[in-house]
Amino acid sequence: MKNGVRLVLLALAAGLAFWLWTVLFPSPEKLVLRKISQLAATACISAKDSSLARAGKATSLVGDFANDAEIVITATEIGSRTLSGRDEIREAALGGFATLSALNVQFMDTVARVGADQQTAQVTCTARVNDGDSKDFGIQEMRFRLKKIDGTWLITRAETVKTLQ
Amino acid sequence: MLIGRRPKTTLLRILLLLALCGFTFKFILLPIQVDGISMEPTYHDRHVNCVNLLAYHWHEPQRGDVVTIRFAQPQPLSAPRQMLMKRIIGLPGETVAFHNGHVYINGELLPEPYLKNECNWEHAPIVCGPNQYYVVGDNRSMPFENHTQGRAQRDHIVGKVLL
Repeated sequence: MKNGVRLVLLALAAGLAFWLWTVLFPSPEKLVLRKISQLAATACISAKDSSLARAGKATSLVGDFANDAEIVITATEIGSRTLSGRDEIREAALGGFATLSALNVQFMDTVARVGADQQTAQVTCTARVNDGDSKDFGIQEMRFRLKKIDGTWLITRAETVKTLQ
Repeated sequence: MLIGRRPKTTLLRILLLLALCGFTFKFILLPIQVDGISMEPTYHDRHVNCVNLLAYHWHEPQRGDVVTIRFAQPQPLSAPRQMLMKRIIGLPGETVAFHNGHVYINGELLPEPYLKNECNWEHAPIVCGPNQYYVVGDNRSMPFENHTQGRAQRDHIVGKVLL
């Protein structure tokens, strides 16, 4: 009986140690996914957010991108639009955040694939966007490319993917 | 007595039932809720339904099937949280065209008894690749450009809508 209890305790301790290890030393996939969910959280604005808070969010959003990052958006309403570099992204984010009353962004079905070099990664996901409490929403397949720059994962390219050809 | 004379057996039965439900609704019949009007009048907004995830395990999708199409690839063993719901009108290798609101497959008119609204869609022929299915919604009251439709890859088709 004593041995049984010891075994259970040992298994629990091993499980706890493993969990601690994954928390303290997360895998590159986890770090990349965390970056993408952080991006979604930063891109959300509420109607209550002040102009200052919105400007802060726009700056914070830009911080998730590499200096030479590119965002390529293709949509029926706007055609194809490319934002190159942090300055253009910041400008677009500031403009968008100032114009919209609220914005809710969610990235679902996210899958991260880290390259063999452990320095690059690709994330595919489905973006669900709506303007705050509105029932209407837009759905778009997205692809992100990330690169580890100075120990931090940064987005080098974000693009929309056409699900139906 | 609510739990019966043999509580252990009752508990076991409840656990078994829960496990069976969990397995069924995750790997066989995926519950969905329609969000939008692109499949009107066949499926209404907020309509609840199920997707048969095994429908195309033994045979390929057929013309007329209402299917769900995933956007991004979800994690293994997890179903996509957002999907498109469309009807298959074109099969691999076929040419799909719209003329005067009617669908033409390889130049022949496709009878579509499920359509209730007239439309005036015009579109030049599109050829489906060897692994592509042409999908479109039943509600064609909006302009062609505003309706999400096109060729879906076979591996993007998640399953067949059950009811």
